[in-house]
Amino acid sequence: MSESGTDFLFGTSTGNGRVMVVDDEPDIRKVVRMTLQKAGYDVLEAEDGEKAIEVINTGENRLMLDVIICDIRMPKINGVEAIEYLRKEYPNVQLIVLTGFPDMDMASSFLRQGVVDYLVKPVAGEKLRDSVAKAMNQREIHRL
Amino acid sequence: MPNVEPTRVAILGGGKGGTLLLDLLSQVPGVELIGVADTNPAAPGIRRALDLNLRVTDNVVDLIAEQGLNLIVDVTGDPAMPALINQHKPPGAEILGGAGAKLVWNMVQHESTLQGQLFQAEKLAGIGSFAAGIAHDINNPLYLVLGFAEAIIEEHDPTTIRDLAQEIIQAVRRISTISREFTQYARQSISSEYVDVELNVKLEEAFKIAQYATVLQDLSVVKDYTGKQLIKAKPDELLHALVNLITNAIQAMDGKGTLTLATCDEDEVATVTISDTGCGIPDGRLEQIFEPFFTTKAPGKGTGLGLYNVKSIVGKNHGKISVTSEVGKGTMFRLQFPLEGQPS
Repeated sequence: MSESGTDFLFGTSTGNGRVMVVDDEPDIRKVVRMTLQKAGYDVLEAEDGEKAIEVINTGENRLMLDVIICDIRMPKINGVEAIEYLRKEYPNVQLIVLTGFPDMDMASSFLRQGVVDYLVKPVAGEKLRDSVAKAMNQREIHRL
Repeated sequence: MPNVEPTRVAILGGGKGGTLLLDLLSQVPGVELIGVADTNPAAPGIRRALDLNLRVTDNVVDLIAEQGLNLIVDVTGDPAMPALINQHKPPGAEILGGAGAKLVWNMVQHESTLQGQLFQAEKLAGIGSFAAGIAHDINNPLYLVLGFAEAIIEEHDPTTIRDLAQEIIQAVRRISTISREFTQYARQSISSEYVDVELNVKLEEAFKIAQYATVLQDLSVVKDYTGKQLIKAKPDELLHALVNLITNAIQAMDGKGTLTLATCDEDEVATVTISDTGCGIPDGRLEQIFEPFFTTKAPGKGTGLGLYNVKSIVGKNHGKISVTSEVGKGTMFRLQFPLEGQPS
């Protein structure tokens, strides 16, 4: 399996788009990475909201990061807080929530904030890739 | 409470009825239990009386000859007993036996059944507040199962396939642990026996369950356990009370703050404290929190029976509960139980 994108500073770019997955569980990040690398995306990882903010503020990620897939329940800075920050500071970066909580209220609140999708685990690989593709399209529109 | 002489009571008969009466009367203010008599030294009432440091004997005459006795409760069912009591009781002692004792016995048993049902109903209602947390903790490993299985379908390398299958097995184990924990907790408590319980172990078990009460978990948890804290209690009831208090603490902090769980022993007393850095309880409300149906939660969110049940469970297990709180700073609940001697 290709390890491209593990280095968040100088990850080799495939040109298909750069995605960061934020989840406190390493195995979840591994599944997301496998799922998305299959579709040719570069995947970065962060274990909580604090680390995610650090990663996006590092080097070329400020410009090159297209989509963030974010969990909700995480230590330090949780998903709600992280998404609030990212919406404000990086309005062009597209956000997808990937969480274990099937919570309608939370889902509609995120979607109102402009989050692309609210996905509840377990989510099939195909569905996650569709969602990222949709987010990449919106990212293109924002770039224009 | 006016300072009056306690009613001194002796119980004859250590069967189920005698045991229930013993448990009830030992909590009633104004009652002083003198002892229990039963010819069977292994009767549950005799064992219970020993736990409570009460006098036990197989000789009824010895017990009822006690001077200053006010009331003799006869639940032996023995037809020869009334005559024997009348012959040996001290002057002035009254007898509750026959139909009167049977009526009291039935009322106590009925009350005990109702209380059991009330505990269970409130426990099940409380589990509702864990639903989101449980769903979260099951959906995460489920996602691993799905993701790794999808990877296996497209994988050709046998070693990688084996590793992925191993990951799936681990994820399934996580899920089964969660479902086991909760079915154990939710089941109706069937044990009516008081056994030796390590308070620290129960506190830890309760914490694992109560954690599900918060969605955005961002708590620091401080645990300060000392000693073994062996007490005599009904384990399921004790767990229920502890889960209730820890859940309240977590909810009072809205998922953010410091939860402190501590135990210590001093002078034959085991103490548990559960403290939070949450919203606190105003002075005027501290009196009310243990009352049935008192709740500050939105309609449908709480039964108002949580702390009421906690208090009666703690009382039934011969403990005491107290609370201190400061608005905006937090709340601390303190439970105290008589310490059991270390088993030799």
